[in-house]
Amino acid sequence: MARNGPRSGIPRFLPPDPRVSQPYLLTPKMALRVAIVGVVALVAFGILFLRLWSLQVLAATKYRGEAQNNQIRTIPIEAPRGPILDSHGAPLVENTASNVVLVWPADLPKGRALGNEFGQLGKVLGTTRGHIEAVLRAHRNDGPPATTPVTLQVGISSQQLDYISEHASRFNGVEIRPTYLRYYNSEGLLAQTLGYVGRIDAQEYNRLKHSPVGYLPDDRIGQAGVEAAYDQYLHGRHGTAQVTVDSSGRPTARPQEKIKPRPGDAVRLTIDIRLQRAAEQALAYGINLAHTTKDGFAADGGAILAMDPNTGAILALASSPTYKPRVWVYRTANGLKPLQDQKAASLANYPILNRALDVTYPPGSTWKPVTALAALEQSVVTPSEPLLCSPSYTVKTIYGAPQTFTNWDPFVNQYITMPTALTWSCDTYFYQLGWDFYNLPANQGQPLQAWASRFGFGKYTGIDVGPEADGLVPTIAWRHKTFTRKTDPSNWQIDRLWKPGDSIQLAIGQKDIAVTPLQLTRFYALLANGGKLVTPYLVQDVEAPSSGSKATPTVLQSFQPPAPQPVGLNPDYLQVVRSGLYQATHDPLGTSSSTFATFPVQIAGKTGTAEKVVTLPGAKTSQVLNQSLWCGWGPYDSPKIVVCVVIENGGHGGTAAAPAAAQVLAKFFNKPVPTVGGKVSD
Amino acid sequence: MVQYIGTAATARRRRRRPSSLGRAEESPLLARLDWTLLLTSAALVGYGLWAIGGITRHVVPGDPNYYLSRQLVFVAVGLVAMLAMIAIDPEWYRRSMRGMYVLMLGLLALVLLAGTVSRHSRRWIDVSFFRFQPSEFGKLMLVLFVAALLADRLQRMNELRTPLLAVALGVPPVLLVFAQPDLGSALVYMAALGACLFVSGIRWSHLGLLTAATVFLVVAVLWLLPAAGMPVLHGYQKARLTGFLSPSSDPTNATYNVNQSEIAVGAGGVTGRGVNNATQTNLNYLPESQTDFAFAAFAEQRGFLGVAGLLLLYLLVVWRGLKIVTIARDGFSAIVAAGIVFGFVFQIFVNVGMTVGLAPVTGITLPFVSVGGSSLIASMAMIGLLQSIHARGRLRRG
Repeated sequence: MARNGPRSGIPRFLPPDPRVSQPYLLTPKMALRVAIVGVVALVAFGILFLRLWSLQVLAATKYRGEAQNNQIRTIPIEAPRGPILDSHGAPLVENTASNVVLVWPADLPKGRALGNEFGQLGKVLGTTRGHIEAVLRAHRNDGPPATTPVTLQVGISSQQLDYISEHASRFNGVEIRPTYLRYYNSEGLLAQTLGYVGRIDAQEYNRLKHSPVGYLPDDRIGQAGVEAAYDQYLHGRHGTAQVTVDSSGRPTARPQEKIKPRPGDAVRLTIDIRLQRAAEQALAYGINLAHTTKDGFAADGGAILAMDPNTGAILALASSPTYKPRVWVYRTANGLKPLQDQKAASLANYPILNRALDVTYPPGSTWKPVTALAALEQSVVTPSEPLLCSPSYTVKTIYGAPQTFTNWDPFVNQYITMPTALTWSCDTYFYQLGWDFYNLPANQGQPLQAWASRFGFGKYTGIDVGPEADGLVPTIAWRHKTFTRKTDPSNWQIDRLWKPGDSIQLAIGQKDIAVTPLQLTRFYALLANGGKLVTPYLVQDVEAPSSGSKATPTVLQSFQPPAPQPVGLNPDYLQVVRSGLYQATHDPLGTSSSTFATFPVQIAGKTGTAEKVVTLPGAKTSQVLNQSLWCGWGPYDSPKIVVCVVIENGGHGGTAAAPAAAQVLAKFFNKPVPTVGGKVSD
Repeated sequence: MVQYIGTAATARRRRRRPSSLGRAEESPLLARLDWTLLLTSAALVGYGLWAIGGITRHVVPGDPNYYLSRQLVFVAVGLVAMLAMIAIDPEWYRRSMRGMYVLMLGLLALVLLAGTVSRHSRRWIDVSFFRFQPSEFGKLMLVLFVAALLADRLQRMNELRTPLLAVALGVPPVLLVFAQPDLGSALVYMAALGACLFVSGIRWSHLGLLTAATVFLVVAVLWLLPAAGMPVLHGYQKARLTGFLSPSSDPTNATYNVNQSEIAVGAGGVTGRGVNNATQTNLNYLPESQTDFAFAAFAEQRGFLGVAGLLLLYLLVVWRGLKIVTIARDGFSAIVAAGIVFGFVFQIFVNVGMTVGLAPVTGITLPFVSVGGSSLIASMAMIGLLQSIHARGRLRRG
């Protein structure tokens, strides 16, 4: 050991330190400690080896699988929604390729960076940071799981798109995804019936997630009208694609399609879009016409229905006021306000309502054929039995006091039979029938209401596209049920009674009776087709998506409505009523003969002027205003179309509704539109 | 303890006397290097470049060799540093221990004052084309200083005040590093300090006492002080330290990185997925895939065979290092070598361990494999220091 220590051969630039005891020897104690360090090192490396062995050799398959799953995301490929066609195959609603700005809440930056990002995004999208935050909050509150993106805006311009794509690093968590948007070829036509598409909400999704249609948590779904009723056909099946992504979810390669999306099927309506346009124009024409009359100044809405009386196929369905359905696509605050905001909707007179199906009116004189048929069937009157058509009719009420009901025409006073009563629309004639119904023995029930029910009033028609109202046919039982101590504490004992006035007013379609234009149309179809009740429908079949452009469409499923049901009318009695309605449009004293007497096709129909208590938009108090109605069909003998027109607050049936109906009929029969105006009548 | 008793004069006389091993002693410095260690470290540098070439291939789009070429420059600098370390007699460090201590504290303090912040930490000083990370070099300086301190007091190792003095002087650099915050390096400093004390012959009872004090300190930092309203660690640090103990209960997602890292390592399998198929690395699932988690990236690309080769090379360095401890010329050199070797082992264990879920996540580098100049240059300087000790040691045992 003597050679240990500094050696002369080694160049040293420092003298040895005298404090160090030289040379140095490895002591046993030191050797032990070094050995311990060595053992510790060996153990440490051993542990690492074992761990690596277990990870890389024993569990490699598992981890390789996890690495694969890590980077592959399955993303949906949106299926284009099916088009909605008119009866001739003209596309009413199609798709247009567009894009949608999505926000992935989980990928958004935190803290101040988030505010900056939203501020910038708001500037680009023409909105505000506050609006974006509000949208996200709303999504958090009611939305699907947080892993789904939030739709911020649809249909941005190419400049906006370019800006966001070029500055992608500033917009973390923002995705622009190509999508399809609904495109409406016919602008505002048929708005309420077509319905609209919107984001599925959490409840709906939970209800539908197992349906074969394959809804996604942030899917779009039809939310009203045809879009909602036939969503399962229109929706299509989304495809899937796999995309490899990096750890921040950004795609690293083009998505690989795994399951092809199946576009939604085409839905063919029974609507003829040309007739639909005519109907909407006619409705506007009728409302304008009403404005020119003394008691139609407040006309502000209405509905027109045109139907095939033999099948129940709806040919046109107009509801006014209306809106442009594209507001549902872009969903701007201003566009949606009249549809969603209570106050704005009230001022705009509720354009979202489908008045043809979902709003009830008193039918007025258009109801008289119901009374007539029920009276004939019940032998309350015979076709040839003359009754006095007087200026007024007085009965004794249940308390013995007299009550007088007036005729709309105070200058008439002669005995007439049933057809003439319909031709003139004589109120007093029908008051007598109402009084007779009132006085029937209790064991006969209420045959007028029973027949009304057989004609489809007071219940749903079963039309395939909703929503529809069921209306009301007032009965003794209904009064009992409706007016109780609880609902009418001050007057229930009197109100619950069925009084003569109830029967008398019902006979001319007034007071509590409430019908939808659709129910009326269906009833007039029954008059036209010989006594059969049809089930109205709007969709005739579902076809392959590209059917619209083809001469022979590929029909996937056609909807056969239930066959028209005879309601058990005596054909002779029906003919009495039919002839009365023919006279009403042709006899010089008929209520709408000024409009239809010279019409090139034989039309039969009935006017109606129904009093209704209404509150005009913006008004504080309510008032009684006349609702203008006309229902009829043509040709008289071999009916092809039945039309009903309701003009809210439009005054007399002959002055507004009948001329509007004439426009629709003229379009249908391809005849020149009659220029004759209406006349004041019931 | 066996002590050689003699005088400086006898030593000088011996020096003048020709030796039977004169040939070896007279041979040039380079000839007396540890050739096994030299080859091993050359292999490690090469291996590291190979690894870095792979794990950084897809980092800079369009320039697959960006990091590799930079790393090559660092290798050149590291080579110079290694040669310088070989040339310098370790004795010089011992003489200038005070200056070195001041220099170390100054550098570490400078980082805190003028350093560049990156990823919540202030660890770097920007020096034109690269970032100088003083804590990597501070490690070497701390070992040299503590070794010098203890070598002067080897006879007094039985007294508690000797290790206490070493610990007291070791605490300031540890705290400075901890304050950056660089928890990982602070742990490595403490491990190296402990190793120096251990091989200097600290009494077991004193060692137990110090260990107990450290354990108490850890408990205090993690639990007592925060409970008393004085949090010492950042939330993320505590989550990382405790998260690996219970990976399933992970409210702050602190173990997400470790999970991804384990997936990367496991997915590597026996032979690796290759550079282009290593999706965990290429798609950024792996955090810090070039530095802290470089091992996981390497393991994904090269598999068990690749990492086994790397660990074996490390083990070779450790073996040669321990050998050098035993043939060191004097106590100082031996303690330096032991401190270096144990710090090396500790750093590798913590770094690799964190990528496979065995150790807490701390931001420390993997010698020779992590991308970065400071780490590589410091590692090569460390090898140079070991060689220097070897060249001046007792060759007979080589």
